[in-house]
Parts: sequence; C-alpha cells; structure tokens
Amino acid sequence: MELVVLDNVKKSYVNGEVLTPALKGISISISSGKFISFVGPSGSGKTTLLNLIGCLDKPTEGKVFVTGTEINRMDRKTSAKFRGDNIGFIFQNFNLIPVLTVYENIEYPLIMVQNVPPEKRKQKINDLLEKVGMTDQKNKYPAQLSGGQKQRVAVARALVAEPKLVLADEPTANLDHVTAYKVIGLMHGMKKDFNTTFIFATHDQKIVGEAEIIYTMEDGLITKKQENTISGEVSR
Amino acid sequence: MKSIIKIAWRNLLRYTRRTLLTASLIAVGVALVIVFGGIGNSFKSEVIGILTNSNLGDIQIHKKGYVGSIDNLPLDISIPEKGLKKIESLLDNNPEIKAYSPRIRFGAMVSNFVQTTNMRLTAVYPEKESKTCSALAKRIKEGDSNPESFVSHGSIVIPLNISTGMNLKLGDDIVLVATNKDGSVNGMTFKVSGISENILGPQGKDGYIHIDDAKSLLRIENGEITEIAIKLNNFSKLSSVYAGLKNELMGIQGEKTAKPMFEIHTWEELSPFASIAKIVTLLIMVVRLVLISIVLISILNVMMMSVYERIGEIGTIASIGTLPSKILALFLTEGLLLGFFSAIAGNVIGMIIILIISAAKLNFTFGMMEISLAPQIPTAEVVFALVIVVIISALASLQPAFKASKMEPVEALRHV
Repeated sequence: MELVVLDNVKKSYVNGEVLTPALKGISISISSGKFISFVGPSGSGKTTLLNLIGCLDKPTEGKVFVTGTEINRMDRKTSAKFRGDNIGFIFQNFNLIPVLTVYENIEYPLIMVQNVPPEKRKQKINDLLEKVGMTDQKNKYPAQLSGGQKQRVAVARALVAEPKLVLADEPTANLDHVTAYKVIGLMHGMKKDFNTTFIFATHDQKIVGEAEIIYTMEDGLITKKQENTISGEVSR
Repeated sequence: MKSIIKIAWRNLLRYTRRTLLTASLIAVGVALVIVFGGIGNSFKSEVIGILTNSNLGDIQIHKKGYVGSIDNLPLDISIPEKGLKKIESLLDNNPEIKAYSPRIRFGAMVSNFVQTTNMRLTAVYPEKESKTCSALAKRIKEGDSNPESFVSHGSIVIPLNISTGMNLKLGDDIVLVATNKDGSVNGMTFKVSGISENILGPQGKDGYIHIDDAKSLLRIENGEITEIAIKLNNFSKLSSVYAGLKNELMGIQGEKTAKPMFEIHTWEELSPFASIAKIVTLLIMVVRLVLISIVLISILNVMMMSVYERIGEIGTIASIGTLPSKILALFLTEGLLLGFFSAIAGNVIGMIIILIISAAKLNFTFGMMEISLAPQIPTAEVVFALVIVVIISALASLQPAFKASKMEPVEALRHV
C-alpha cells in the first residue's frame, strides 16, 4: 500500500476578493521508506503541498490519503491525533519549545501527544539522543544550542513517536554547509533505522542530491519527477 | 497534568518581569482585602462587643409594640409578671442562653436641689445585669464597681455627663421624680454610688438603680418589667437562637387577642451602630470587587499577551499533534498558577500586616468609646481571596486559552 496518495489535489487561497491558486491539480503516490524532495522556486506550492500531506491544511479540491486514511475529512481533534500518531515535523526554524530542555523537547510528543509509560519513554529518548549525538547536551535549553544542534534535536523529536512519515520544510535553510550535511546524514541514517519516509520541501541542492525521488514544482504543478540512483550516501 | 503544570510554570518564569509585576498587583489587591477585612471586622466586633456587653445584650424581649415607642420609654407597654415567668421558663431551658436580665426602663427628672435635668434610667438586679452585660460594671469609673452590688437599694449610678453637668460627686444626694403608668408622679431620694462612662455618645444620659427601687418609685406592685436583655453563650449563633426564641415566643398569646404578646429583637435592630456595621461590610465588599477587577484585568492582559507572543509555538505544538483541549489546559493552567501563587503571596503579606497591627494595639476613640484595634487574621477573607482569585484567574484565562486552542496550526506556523 502506498504511504501517501494525492488525487488531483487543488488548493486556492482567498485574499480579499482575489482567488490565488497555490496547487492546480497534483496527483502522486509515495511509498514507504523513501527520501523524497520537492524542489522549486518560492511560491511554487511546495510548502502548501507539505501542509496538505501533513494534515495541517485541507485541499480545496481532490483527496489526500496518508497510510490509507483520507485525511481531508478529519475534524481538528482527529487530525491532531492522526498527526501525533503518524507524522513527524521538522521546521526551518527548528521550532523547539524554549522552556523545555533538549531531553524534554524530545519527550514532549511521548507525554503530551502519546501516553508512553515513563520507563519506555526514557529508553527511547536516550537511544535517540545517542543517535543524534546530543546525549551530553540533554539538559541544555534550546537557547544554549547552535543551529545544527537544534535541528538534530528537532529530528529526534520528529522521530521519537516512530511516525511513518516525516515532513521537513527547508530543514537546512538556516544551517551552514557542514552542519547541513551532518543533519542530512543524520536523517538518512534515521530513514534506514526506522524505515521512515522523509519528504522535504527545499531548494537546497545538498538535500536534492541525497533524495531518491525529486519532484520539481512550478506554479502549483509538478513539472518533473526524477529518480536519483546514487542517493543514500551523503556526499561531502 | 504534571507536564502541563511544569510547562505552564516555566512559561510564567520565562517572562519574569511581567509575571512579577502582575503577581505583585494581584498580591497587593489580596493583601488589601485581608487587611481591610481584618481591620473592618475587628472594628465591628469591638464596637458590637462594647454595645452588647455594656448595655444592649445580644437579644431583647419586650411587650408587643414597645420598640416602636422605645424613645418614650413607655411604662404602659410592659411585660406582666405572668408573662415574665413564661419567658423565664423558656430562657432557663435554652442551653444557648448564658444569662438574662429583667429591666425596667423609664425616664425621670433628676434634681440636686439646685439644678434639674431629665435622665434615662435602667432598673436592674445587679448580679443578673452583670452576667448579661459583663462590661457594664467595668465602665463604672468612680464608686462601687462590684458586679454583684454596683447598685444597691437607695443608690444610683449616674453617667459622667450628668455628674459633670450637675457637679455631682460620690455620696451626693439626688431626687428622682418619675411619672408612673397611671400618670401620677412620685419622687425618691438616692445616693450617688457610682459614676459611669457613657457608651452611647455625649447626648446619652443613662443611669442605673436597683429594680426594687424602681418598683417603689413607679408604684409597681406586681412583677411587671419593660424588657429582658439576653446574653448568649455563643454570639455567632445569634441568628439561630433568635429564630428559635422568636418561634417559641409567638406561641405565647394574649388571652383576649389571641395574638403574640411579645416581640424579640437582636442588638442590630436596637442600635444605630448596626447601620455603620453594614457600611463597613459594604466597604469590605467594595474592596473585594476592586480585587476581582484587578485580577480579571491583570490575568486577561497577561494571558492575551502570552498567546499573541507564542502563536508560532502554539502552531508547533499543534502540528506535533497536541490536542486542542491540551493547548487550552496549558494556557488555563498558566493563568491559574499565576493567580494562585499571587493570592498565596498576597495572603502572606496581608497576614503579616494584620499581625503587625495586632501587635501594635492601635487605640482610638469612636464616639465616647475607646476602641482597641486588635485585628485577627480573617480566615474567611483569606479563604475568600484565594478561592475568588483562582476562580477569576480561570475565567480571565479562558478566552485567551480558547483562542490558542482554536488556532489553525498552519496559520499559527506562518506567524512570525
């Protein structure tokens, strides 16, 4: 079964009396365990598409299926629960909760979204902290971390609930070259370890180069699909 | 819930200056309620204590219609001996009654053979009166102040203003001339045995004689009296004891009229200070309303700012999968914690101020009364302030919390 299916998805925004189409009919299928990148210029509809797949927004027309569930019919509570159980998010600005430590930020989805028992929680978080190389920093607050460290914590937070799908909107945009490669490498490793599908919206060539499938978007449409056969190794 | 409290608490500490300012404002409001409540209640209970222990008693019983004409001190609206016995039987069998004192109150002309003036007189059995109004004997500043015998046959306790005005001293003779209920006039000579402070203001002219002397002066041959003053074991049970006695008294009806023979009143219905006490209570209510306004505006303001500043963060936690109800709980808890701890701080400050005032023992004169202000920590005000602040904090946080929980994650994430 396909993990994500979009069937003629359209999305328009109303700005005053002006109707602005953001997506003009997208139909794609994405299978599990893939590293996928949506590329294109600003305003091409990448973020809108991610928001629809991420159950954060609803399409104007068409259907969105994630893990076989039609998500565009869900109410607020159901979609929140669905996101918590199935989707992880990585943001451009890291979006860590500033009043929580590294450990607590990763723990957040397990306490506030899922109800994971303390012992299991501790084990999962410590494993992830080790994987993202943040064990030594676990008691620090986000303000005490560098950009790369923050994004590593964000990756751990996105994966801690073991989602089937991780959506990342410009995850390396605020990172320097070296750090960006490290984060991409980390996500690659996570994909292998957890068989998680990563979908990126980006114009960062570093990510594009690592993606298995690259969708190019222009003006609300997918204009090109490219399969990258050398992906899976993070080149430096 | 533990995690929600932890996050809410840390968010409060995140904006330390703003949290402290808001908490200080609420704490000052709460302290104001505690201090004002403590002082107001202390003032009321002190004055009520002086009035009831010196003169009024907690409750009074009269013949029906007496209180309506009380300014005239009518002798023809009196409690007959038979009625008195029935009432005494009721009172003797009531465990809430500490003491009672039958009285004859009347007006008389007093003469020192040079000057004449009018005077209100209360004729009492001294031992019964002292048990009912325990502070009365203590107010006798000159002469015999023995509670058991402060008035004896042929003696009179006169108020300070009569003593001063007519230049009367202990041991001086005076003549009382009074009209009995049939209209005939009689006079008797008394010796001044005591001079008392006056509690009812400079215009008051209240003296005390023995009830047997009053019966002679007024030619009362049976056991008639005009009022019974009652002291309760527990003043806080005033309302219930009053209601019970009233109910029992209604059962004593006149043989001819088949209507209740007696009327019963608490001190509140007999003293103008009851109005002042009500004003003090009203002022305490006003201070409480001010507190409610302070809490409502402060918490609403701080929580709205909190929501607007954290729109992006709300978007993040919502997109991660936090349920709207938990987002609501997060902000509600934040407001509640702010209110709760501010109220605790305010209560502590208020109690410290009360203890300082109490230790300082502030004295001042109210009318002719020396009031010693020693406020107790008003438990009711402390509990009220805590409960009301928490409730108002919850109400004030509701709107911002609802706003946060209703935010669309995609729109909140776009917010910079």
